[in-house]
Order: sequence, then structure tokens, then C-alpha cells
Amino acid sequence: MDELDILKKDWQSSQKVFQQKSSKDFYIMLHKKSSSIVKTLLYISIAELVFWICLNTIPLFSSDSYKEQLNMVYKNDFVFYAITVISYAIILLFVYLLYQTYKTISATDNVKKLMENILKTRKIIKYYVIYNLAVGFIAMVVGSYYGIVNNPEIATDFNNFNQAQVIITFCLIAVFTLLFVGLIWLFYRIIYGILLRRLNKNYKELAKLEV
Amino acid sequence: MNTELEHSFVGLLEENQNIVHKICRLYTNNQDAHNDLFQEITIQLWKAFPNFRGDSKFSTWMYRVGLNTAITLYRKSKRTIHTQEFDNLQHKIKAEPYDDTEEQQLKLMYDAVHQLNDIEKALVFLYLEDKNYAEISETLGISEVNARVKMNRVKTKLKTILNP
Repeated sequence: MDELDILKKDWQSSQKVFQQKSSKDFYIMLHKKSSSIVKTLLYISIAELVFWICLNTIPLFSSDSYKEQLNMVYKNDFVFYAITVISYAIILLFVYLLYQTYKTISATDNVKKLMENILKTRKIIKYYVIYNLAVGFIAMVVGSYYGIVNNPEIATDFNNFNQAQVIITFCLIAVFTLLFVGLIWLFYRIIYGILLRRLNKNYKELAKLEV
Repeated sequence: MNTELEHSFVGLLEENQNIVHKICRLYTNNQDAHNDLFQEITIQLWKAFPNFRGDSKFSTWMYRVGLNTAITLYRKSKRTIHTQEFDNLQHKIKAEPYDDTEEQQLKLMYDAVHQLNDIEKALVFLYLEDKNYAEISETLGISEVNARVKMNRVKTKLKTILNP
């Protein structure tokens, strides 16, 4: 007799060994909060959206110097408004995509499908962060260029630089910005790595079967 | 105030609660963790209940939601203590003076099943519940052939754990 069949015999006969819950227990349980991974992901994605929106919007309202700098960069009002509209449209697009994928997550799907849908959500949050980091990188580099060119004190020093020095300065700015962006990315990867370690492992196990 | 939906849900769940207990038995190692997972499965079942159309048996529907919760949705709470190592230690001590009584063998079997990964446990669970390969493949989302192949590998793995 197979080992599992011995277990099966016991398994099917052990109907009463569990401490039975009463209907009262169940009514209490229905109103407890879930601690599912989907809920955690939902909170994180909302936090991501709010964080990046705040980061992009608050300086615009609170810092006059930032506004002045922006005015220097965007001498043309149309360009400024176009960029603002496009960036909010992109945020809205991400919110829409996130909402759509969250809606598809259902505990009644099969195990593999459920995992795929959760991983899809995680991918959208990932693209959103990549988008923000890329925009942040470009904005930092372009912003520091205009900052230097338009700042009378630095601009005078800068005019005395030879071409090689100018190139080195911008390379340094780019490298430091990249490093900074890389650190945020790493931090982000670690958080999701820990959170989704088990899910990724189980998904790989199932996907491996289908090769 | 309890609604009619709640009443019918709790009635069905109370009747079929052993399915949830059995999933918890395979996926947890102590009573606290058992209760935690039990609660999460109950919540997920309740959340999914409005979509239960009754075209499958309530118990079949429970297998899906229950396994999905145990494998994917459930995040172990801080209270959950890993007793895996303790189990292994116990297993090693007991494995040497091998006693062939059925009870002893069952204890070793349960310990061995606890050492399987989440997907393998799901296969074992459905097998123990006497589900055929069509149902197993449908629940897990893999092909029937692969379910069979994997099940055979699980059996071999269990043999290896039991007879090192």
C-alpha cells in the first residue's frame, strides 16, 4: 500500500478531530479585517501614487524659487502646461490600469491565474515607479543645467571652464543622480522582494510544470 | 444585524468547516497559526460568496478559495511561529528506532507532508480529498498530464523523506 493511501485512509476518517467552530464564532470572524497580500499591495500602490503626486506638486505651490526656476526652464507657457497635462494624464492612466487589474483579482480563480493577476498588478506599480524615476532623473539633469546657466554667480564661473571641465561637471551630475535613482530603485526592489518572495517562489513552481 | 446572506453563508460554512480545518492542518504547524489561517480563509470565502453562483458544489468552491488563501493570499502573521525545524528534529529522532505501528507511521507521514512546498501540499491535499486529476488540474491551473507527473514526484519525494 502506498504511503499516501495510508494517510488518505486516516484523513478521510478524521472528520471529528478538529475543534468545531460555532456559528457565533463565524459571525465574529466575518467582521474581522483581512490581512491578505492583495490588501497590502493595494495600500502600497495608493501610497506610491500619493507619494509621487505630492513630490511633483507640493514644491509647485510652496516654493516660489522653484516656480521661478520652472519659469526660467519653460519660457514658453504652452510647453509648461502641455507637460503638466501629459504628466497628470499618465498618472490617471496608471490609476485606471491599477483599478482594472485589482478588479480581476479573485480568490475563485484557479491558483495559477490568481498568482498571475497579482503579479500583473505588481508589474503596473513597477512601471509607475520606473516612469517616475526616469522623469526624476531627466528633470534633475535638465534642471541642474538650466540652474547653472541661469544663475548669474555660477554662470560666471562656468564661463571660465573649458569644454572638458563642462563635460566632466555634467557627467558627475548625471552619475550622482543615477546613483540616487538607483538607490531608490534598490530600496523598492527589496521591499517587494520580501513581500512577494513566497508568491514568486510558488508561481515559479507552478510555471515550471508547464514548460 | 445579520443579513440573510450572512445566515446562509454561515450555515454552509459551519457544515463544511472541516475542509478549512484540513487545509489549515497541512499549511500550519501550531494552533495559533491554524486559527489565523482559518480566519483569513473565512474572510476570503465571505468576500467571494456573492460571486458563488451555485453551479458547483459549495465544498468544491471552498477548495479553490481555501487553497488560494493558503498558498497566495495569506500573509503569515507575526504570531505565527515556525516549528518546521522542531518537526524535523523530532522526525530524525523518531526515524531511527523505527516503530511500525500505524499511529507512529501516520505521525511520520504528517511530518513529511509538512516538509513539502506549498504547491506540493496542495496536490497532496486534493489527492487526500479524493479529487481526480481533472479536478486537481482545474483547481491549480495546470494541465492534467502535469498534475499526474507532479503527483508522482511528490510521492517519490515523500518516500525519500520517510526512508532517507
